Amino acid sequence: MSRHVTVSGVSLEIEEQGQGRPILFLHPGEGLQANRPWMDALARNHRVIAPVHPGFGGSALPDWVGTVDDLAYLYLDLAQQLGLEGAVLAGNCFGGWIAAEMAVRNTARFAGLLLAAPLGIKVGGVLERDITDMHAIGRSEFMRLAWADPSKGEIDYTKLPDTELAGIARGREALCVFGWKPYMHNPRLKRWLHRIDVPTHLIWGEQDGIVSTAYGEAWKAEIPGATMETVPQAGHYPHWEQPEGFAARVLAFTDRI
Amino acid sequence: MRTWYFSEMAYHPAWEKGLERGSLRVNFPSENLDPREAGMLLNRYLDEFALCDEVGLDIMVNEHHSTATCMTVSVPMALSIIARETKKARLLSLGNPIANRPDPVRVAEEMAWLDCLSGGRIEIGLVKGAPYEIAPANSNPGRLMRRYWEAHDLVIKALTTSTGPFSWEGEFYQYRAVNIWPRPIQQPTPPIWMTGMSVDTGIAAAERGHVVGTLLSGGLAKPMYEAYRKRARELGWEAGPDRMAYAALIGVGHTREEGMRRAHQIADYVRTSPVVAEPFTNPPGYNSIGANVAMLRAGPRAHRMITDRNGVPIDHRTATVEQFMDTETVFAGTPDDVFNQLKAFNQRMGGVGHLLFFGQGGHLSHQDAKENISLFGKEVAPRLLELGVPEQAAAE
Repeated sequence: MSRHVTVSGVSLEIEEQGQGRPILFLHPGEGLQANRPWMDALARNHRVIAPVHPGFGGSALPDWVGTVDDLAYLYLDLAQQLGLEGAVLAGNCFGGWIAAEMAVRNTARFAGLLLAAPLGIKVGGVLERDITDMHAIGRSEFMRLAWADPSKGEIDYTKLPDTELAGIARGREALCVFGWKPYMHNPRLKRWLHRIDVPTHLIWGEQDGIVSTAYGEAWKAEIPGATMETVPQAGHYPHWEQPEGFAARVLAFTDRI
Repeated sequence: MRTWYFSEMAYHPAWEKGLERGSLRVNFPSENLDPREAGMLLNRYLDEFALCDEVGLDIMVNEHHSTATCMTVSVPMALSIIARETKKARLLSLGNPIANRPDPVRVAEEMAWLDCLSGGRIEIGLVKGAPYEIAPANSNPGRLMRRYWEAHDLVIKALTTSTGPFSWEGEFYQYRAVNIWPRPIQQPTPPIWMTGMSVDTGIAAAERGHVVGTLLSGGLAKPMYEAYRKRARELGWEAGPDRMAYAALIGVGHTREEGMRRAHQIADYVRTSPVVAEPFTNPPGYNSIGANVAMLRAGPRAHRMITDRNGVPIDHRTATVEQFMDTETVFAGTPDDVFNQLKAFNQRMGGVGHLLFFGQGGHLSHQDAKENISLFGKEVAPRLLELGVPEQAAAE
């Protein structure tokens, strides 16, 4: 069920479902999409708390919020406000970047960090692109790169109500506000990943055309003790494309931490 | 109605290849340009600008980037040459794409320098820029207009401060010692222009008293002008035609056929220039949420930029001169024809004080371009100067 909470003066739309060890799940650049089956699958074993990022969907984007730093502090405040203890901090794509920025700052409320195809670090040289420029390709090319099976991801926008379309349009602009330049990464983040002091697990879709598994290996190398596994028949959004397989991997991770 | 000649200094020899690739901008590699031919064309275009001064026309220059449609990469660079080659023409920069410029103080410096160089002939456009300019500049399309307004305020503050330095600690720009040398001749600033296609732009320009310009669509221009006049009235002043500008393609000839032929060749610019790969046409944040909702609701379809007088979209890639004349994108014919068309347009729009005369699209030969400029300057522009507020609008 969706509700609104105010955190540090920012009105956030939050989806929450299920019982068990809490998972604070930070959604990808394409939005929360709570109606896809991923949330039901995760909520069978966990209390899933999934905020909608500022500027996306029904969450406010105050003028003073404009960087991923702001989002990291905002969600650390949210975790405190909700009184989370021993929770799993999880994020996919853009949400993985935010989760990592939180984890290098403060892991006091978290027992583990789960990153699914996170954006956020720079690995290669100046002429090498680690992250596909999603804003320089057409929508159909984006879908082909982001999904193992693009037909599973298609949304018929012409059938959605205006309020939902406005939420999508707002989210697309907000993603640019946060991640346009440098493109979807923080050049300094990689050097601070060593600070992450909770068990960290990386999950990667084998057909991810936005960030490669080699990029995932670079993350793994920077975070002490991190583990990584790949998901077959999945692209950049493994929780959407393989919801059961994703939930099983999350459960295996939460069982061992 | 004053007339400002402009051309985008197109590199038309590459257009056909660009059309085949489906994009003339951003991702169209420059291996499709011969630098020596580019140099020859640039010199030719600058000669055409210089001719305007001799025939009594004012001059406008704009800029685009990474494109075969426009080789002007820097308005101040082009205007500094033109300023030295002209004596009387007023020189309009339309404009400085300030939301895409990392350094607005530099913009103020360049404009002030040009005002000094030209003896006070500069007019300053502060523009948002087209959506496909976002990628070449790598400027953030998110919060674009907030950045635009901060840059706008900073440029004006820099131009009007002669007791500096002052500091600026804003959201997007930070300076510790702004103190531009030289400062402009025209006080408090040279005339300021904005461009747009919406009612909101009309209102924003009215609130600052700027000239507002739009292009190629009378259907979009009219509500914008009306919003400007209404907002000015609310603020206690009457906005005359000198606050309104309109850009159109114009072909004039000694015979109607010659004028139509020239217009047809210039119109190839409009048939070509909007052809750009999909992702660069609407970067998120460039257009309003409302406009994006409408686009998502409409579903994927060909990009269209022009509607006719009844709001019906036309396909700009294949439209005829006659169709473009219906949308008020093109005016064409003999000097009498063109004057009468513009007089009627001025009437419909409630008075437009500035005509931005797009008189060279690329395919027009140098000889034709010179004749187009001369004929317009000698036989149409002087009569347009007599056009003021149309009677009907004045009575409203």
